[in-house]
Amino acid sequence: MNPLRRWLAPSHPAQLLLGLTLWSLWFVALYGGLSVACELAPPAPGQGVLTAINGALALLTLATLGLLGWLAWRGLRAGRGGVGGSRFIALTGAGLHLFSAAGVAFVGLPILALPPCL
Amino acid sequence: MSETMRPTPEAERLHRELEAVWGNPPGWRGRLSVVNHSTLGLRFMATGLVFFLLGGVLAMLIRTQLALPDQAFMSPEIYAQVTTMHGTVMMFLFAIPMLEGLAIYLIPKMIGTRDLVCPRLTAFGYWCYLFGGIILFSSLLLEMAPDSGWFMYTPLSSSEFAPGPGSDFWLLGITFVEISALAAGVEITVSILRTRAPGMALHRMPLFAWYILAMALMIVVGFPPLILGSVLLELERAAGMPFFTVAGGGDPILWQHLFWLFGHPEVYIIFLPAAGIVSTLIPVFAGRPIVGYGWVVAAIVITGFISFGLWVHHMFAVGIPQLAQAFFSAASMLVAVPTAIQVFVWLATLWLGKPRMTVPMLWVTGFLVIFVCGGLTGVMLALVPFNWQVHDTHFVVAHLHYVLVGGMFFPLVAGAYYWLPLVTGRMPSERLGRLGFWLTFLGFNLTFLIMHWTGLLGMPRRVYTYDSAMGWDLVNLISSLGGFMMAAGIAAVLVDLVLHGRYGRTAPRNPWGADTLEWSLSMPPASYNFASLPRVESRHPLWETPTLGDAIARGEGVRPGAAHGRRELLGGEALTGRVRELIHLPGNSLLPLYAALCLAVVCVSLLIRLYPLSLLGLAGAGVLLLRWSWENGGHRRAAPLGHDEPEDPPLHSRTADGPGRWTMEVALLADGAFFLALLFGWFYLWTVSPQWQMPARSPLSLLLLLASGAALTLGALWLERRVAALIRGREAGLVLALGGIAALGGLHVALLVVVLLDAGLAPTATAHDATLLVGLAYLLGHGGLAALLAALQAWRAGLGLVGARLPFEPGVVALLWRYQLGAYWILVAAMALLPRLTGGGP
Repeated sequence: MNPLRRWLAPSHPAQLLLGLTLWSLWFVALYGGLSVACELAPPAPGQGVLTAINGALALLTLATLGLLGWLAWRGLRAGRGGVGGSRFIALTGAGLHLFSAAGVAFVGLPILALPPCL
Repeated sequence: MSETMRPTPEAERLHRELEAVWGNPPGWRGRLSVVNHSTLGLRFMATGLVFFLLGGVLAMLIRTQLALPDQAFMSPEIYAQVTTMHGTVMMFLFAIPMLEGLAIYLIPKMIGTRDLVCPRLTAFGYWCYLFGGIILFSSLLLEMAPDSGWFMYTPLSSSEFAPGPGSDFWLLGITFVEISALAAGVEITVSILRTRAPGMALHRMPLFAWYILAMALMIVVGFPPLILGSVLLELERAAGMPFFTVAGGGDPILWQHLFWLFGHPEVYIIFLPAAGIVSTLIPVFAGRPIVGYGWVVAAIVITGFISFGLWVHHMFAVGIPQLAQAFFSAASMLVAVPTAIQVFVWLATLWLGKPRMTVPMLWVTGFLVIFVCGGLTGVMLALVPFNWQVHDTHFVVAHLHYVLVGGMFFPLVAGAYYWLPLVTGRMPSERLGRLGFWLTFLGFNLTFLIMHWTGLLGMPRRVYTYDSAMGWDLVNLISSLGGFMMAAGIAAVLVDLVLHGRYGRTAPRNPWGADTLEWSLSMPPASYNFASLPRVESRHPLWETPTLGDAIARGEGVRPGAAHGRRELLGGEALTGRVRELIHLPGNSLLPLYAALCLAVVCVSLLIRLYPLSLLGLAGAGVLLLRWSWENGGHRRAAPLGHDEPEDPPLHSRTADGPGRWTMEVALLADGAFFLALLFGWFYLWTVSPQWQMPARSPLSLLLLLASGAALTLGALWLERRVAALIRGREAGLVLALGGIAALGGLHVALLVVVLLDAGLAPTATAHDATLLVGLAYLLGHGGLAALLAALQAWRAGLGLVGARLPFEPGVVALLWRYQLGAYWILVAAMALLPRLTGGGP
């Protein structure tokens, strides 16, 4: 197995870090993207929530949610069939992916409610 | 050996053999050269205790000043110095080093090994901490202490508003101390991952080791942004580079970002090891395994990550968009989830077990009450409108003390009472322990519960006095009385700590009925910890095999004794704990002390602006560190090649993947965090700074940068090829090849110097040029080091210290080259290419 496939296997310890790393990257993209967009092209204040910035951030959030959900499902499936250390890593990794997905959903909620640059 | 053991002749022979190899040398010179983790862990903790007492005295001065209105006990200037130093000392000189010391002392014993993986780095870290702490604290005695608050906000800490040397003491002293924290972070990470007892797979590792692993990695990633911030602010103060000055294109808010990028994770860096103590003690005193081991591991990992996404909640009042505030507000609430998981796990474990209310458990109970309250006010502060309402009031002071004292100090004392019998072989006093607890617990709540009121009544932080008409008299008086009651409680604990070593009753073997490996050792433990190394098949080795300690002492474990005369650890696979190699460690040395002394010279000479001396000190430290690295691998003072080499497993220097490689990788992770913080600073100033001045044309020559990058790329690729060939056993032409690679590195650096000279930067005029200068200096430093290390490898290959039988070191150096390659092209793209593509300007 090549190193990348090995790292991505559900029973590899990297799975303990992958979900929250994705959460972190999403969070940095969210905050950084918002800040840069507000500096470069702030929408008119009257536009409210229906702006291109909110739309782009919502799409990014949905894509991240999908990826994390899939990773969690894969981990749960592998964990049920595993034993010992492999089972522990796969199930704990799946739990962390699920938490990361919940984190993305919770932190991303204000995108639906607040205008971006006020 | 302890009197609690019954040594057999075989055990005594092993003890003599191991003590000859691992023992600390006698005399003053010997004591200064010690690298043993137990000795150094205790030194860290003893030094931390001294700083805690000094910080505590400062706290009492503050409470004395505030006890009554309109007091002139301290002048406003001295009060500002005292509050700044109280926070600084407690956070940087007590909390972090104390917990590092605990980890340094305990981790090898808990994971079943004989020492940490880089013992000289432990010693170096200790000396950096000691000297940095002394330099920083001396500022108070000289009445030149920093007075801008422990977070040193600009422009209050900049030259204009803090012209004296106070801020310089802080910036240089703290950076010096942080070297120590990073050193500990790197080696603890690698030690936990690579030197656990055979069979101790990740899912069998003690929870305390999980907590410490998270703490160590958080130090590695979290401290570099503050180091960068300190370097930039010192450059602004000493050389006039306007990173944080609006008129020069800088931005004072950048400091807040860099500080809190470190500062918020710092809270969890302190909390996690303390929670590790709680997760270790509760199962022992409940008499059953912890409920939900996997849940706790997940909670630790979640805390480690989420805590890096909260820093802006310290900056809600600076004026950022509401949507961004909402992101950080939500993330701040999210971090309560892993903490709640742990609290429920602890409660469930107590509920399902049969708790014994011993003195350590009393302190754990105090922790639970206080920390949960602190967590709840934390959730309140995560709400933006409430945060604005109590911003900069004593409510925040009360909250942070509930979190830090409740979340760190109470578990620490619980841990002290729990592990004291291991350290000294004697039991502490039950009566003094309980008296100390109740005085501290009641005194603490009297001080800080009331302080929430003081804050809600509107009393701001950091004011040296108040008018009686404000109505804050009574609450302040009660807080001050509570503070002194708490001090009396801590004094009772200290008395116990000092006296129990002489008057305490002799501790029985494993006095608390614990499950982890440190209690299988003699009390106090021998310098080598284990006479033979344990094989671990369970999360609770001592509950499964209570006589494990006797078997280990008789040499019935793995790799008994040290007839070979080397300090050896077993190196294992990170996931399974399966044995892979024998790690040979360096012995006692004065080099770490001398290197730290040179850095102290650098620190002091920068303070007094004697720059030639600081360069001399830096060069001295560099030479000493390189000399230290020279005595490695096949060197005659390390593990020279011989005819009776162990083969199954082999010595690590005969493999391609020893712990040094992992150490380099983790160190480069810290380096990468510094680099990312620098990139963040560049883009932040570019996009946000109100008066950023981007020239119409980048001053950096693209042609020269491409030429320099080509030399670096060629060198790095060549080195990768040579490393691969070496692993396959081909060493012909190695000296010449490494020499050629070093020459390419030299060319890369020389061309970069030409880029710098050609650019004609004006770093004191604009933040743009100043940031370019720092970026180029970063690349020059790393490029120079990469070239130098390649040259030294060529030399070592010529001496037969690197070759087909000793293939380890070039692979480690190749990692630095790989890193420099990535950093170089990213920085060229960010600082030279992107401005050209976008046409510059904000």
